[in-house]
Amino acid sequence: MMDRVGAKRGRARFQALCLALRPDLLRFAFWLCHDHALAEDVVQESMLRAWKAQESLEDEKAAKPWFLTIVRRELARTFERKRLNTVNVDDLVALEDSSLAAGDQADLAEMRAAIFKLPEEYREPLVMQSLLGYSTAEIASELNLSQSAVLTRLFRARHQLRALCGEDTSGDPQ
Amino acid sequence: MMNHEQYRRAMLANPLGTDPEFEAHRASCEDCRAFTDGVLTFEHQLVRALKVSTPISAKILLFGTCSTARPTKGARWLALAASVAIAFVVGAGIWLTPRSSLAADVVAHMADEPTAWKSQAALPAGELNPVLKRANISLDPKAPSVSYANSCEFRGQVVPHLVVQSPRGPVTVMVLTHEAVSKARHFDEQGYRGTILPIPQHGSIAVLMRAPGTTAAEVDAVAAQVRAAIVWGS
Repeated sequence: MMDRVGAKRGRARFQALCLALRPDLLRFAFWLCHDHALAEDVVQESMLRAWKAQESLEDEKAAKPWFLTIVRRELARTFERKRLNTVNVDDLVALEDSSLAAGDQADLAEMRAAIFKLPEEYREPLVMQSLLGYSTAEIASELNLSQSAVLTRLFRARHQLRALCGEDTSGDPQ
Repeated sequence: MMNHEQYRRAMLANPLGTDPEFEAHRASCEDCRAFTDGVLTFEHQLVRALKVSTPISAKILLFGTCSTARPTKGARWLALAASVAIAFVVGAGIWLTPRSSLAADVVAHMADEPTAWKSQAALPAGELNPVLKRANISLDPKAPSVSYANSCEFRGQVVPHLVVQSPRGPVTVMVLTHEAVSKARHFDEQGYRGTILPIPQHGSIAVLMRAPGTTAAEVDAVAAQVRAAIVWGS
C-alpha cells in the first residue's frame, strides 16, 4: 500500500516537473527544428524517455539540464531518421508563417526570422543562454566545447543577429 | 585593465555578465556605457522573440506503451478505454493540482526575465505603447519612467510586465487583470518584497522591489503611486 502511495506521489511529482519545464523545452526544440508540430513530438517522446529513465535523475534541481540533454538527443535521432525539409526563412516571412507570427509586434517577427538565419552552431548556444538562462560553463558542458569557444560563438551570434536586424554594428569589435 | 574591444566582445558574448573587471570598465567609459544600453535593449527584444508561445492545452502522456504486434479488436477497445482513462487522469491531475500562491508565481516569473532590471533608461514610446495597448491600459503622463515593458505569459494569460524607476530603485509591476484578490497581500520571498493590490473590476496589480531593507510601508507608498498612474480602458 505504501509502495503504491509512494509511486503515485513520485508520478505526480514527475508530472509536475514535466509541466513546469515543458514550455522552455518546446521553445528550445522549436528554435532548433523550425517546426512547432515536430517540436511537440520531440518533447513528448523525450518526456516518455525521461519517465523511463527517471532513476538517473538524482537531484530534481538538475532536472532542467537533464531534460534538455534528452531533448537534444531526441532531436538528433529525429534528424538522423529523416532528412528534414529545409525552410527558406524569406518565404516564411512572405507567407506570414504562424511560427514567426507575433501578433501586433512586427519587430519580433523580424527578429525571429533573423534568428533562424543564424547558423545552428551559433543559434543553439544563444537560445541556451538567452532563453534558458544557462551559464557559459553549462553551455560548454552540454555542447562539449571549451568555454572560450562558447563565448566566441555567442559573440558571433549576437554580432550577426544585430547586423541582420539592421542595428548599428559599427561599434562592435570585429 | 580591460580595453574597449575586450569589453564589447565580452558584452556581446554575455550581456548579463557580472565580472568586476567588466563592471569597472563600464563605470569608467561613457562610450561603452552607451554601447551597453544598446546591447541590453537588443537583448530584451531577443528574449521576447525567443519566447514563442507554446500550446498550454497539450497533454503530456507519460504512460504510453509500444507494441509491434497488431492488436486484436478487443485489445483495441481496451487500449481506447485506457487512453480515455489516462487522458482523464492526466486532465484531472492538471486540474486538481493545487495552484501555487499568486505571490510565489509572480516571484518565480522574475527569474524568466533576468534582463528586466538591467537598464535604467526610459523605454521609447514605440516599445512601451504596444504592451500597454494590448492590456487596454495607459499611463498617466506624470507616471515614473518605464525602463522595461513586455507582454508576458503568466498563468495562461498575457499580462504587461513593466519596470518603473522610483527613487528607491527599479520597481517591477505586473498588471493582472485576470487575477482578482479580495485584499492587499504583502510578501517577502527570495529577496523580493512586494504587494498584490486589488483593483476593483480590473483584477489586481503586483508591485515588487528587491532593494534590501525595503519596508512594507515603502512598498505600499510605491504601489499607491503605480496604482494612481495606471489609466484603465473601458
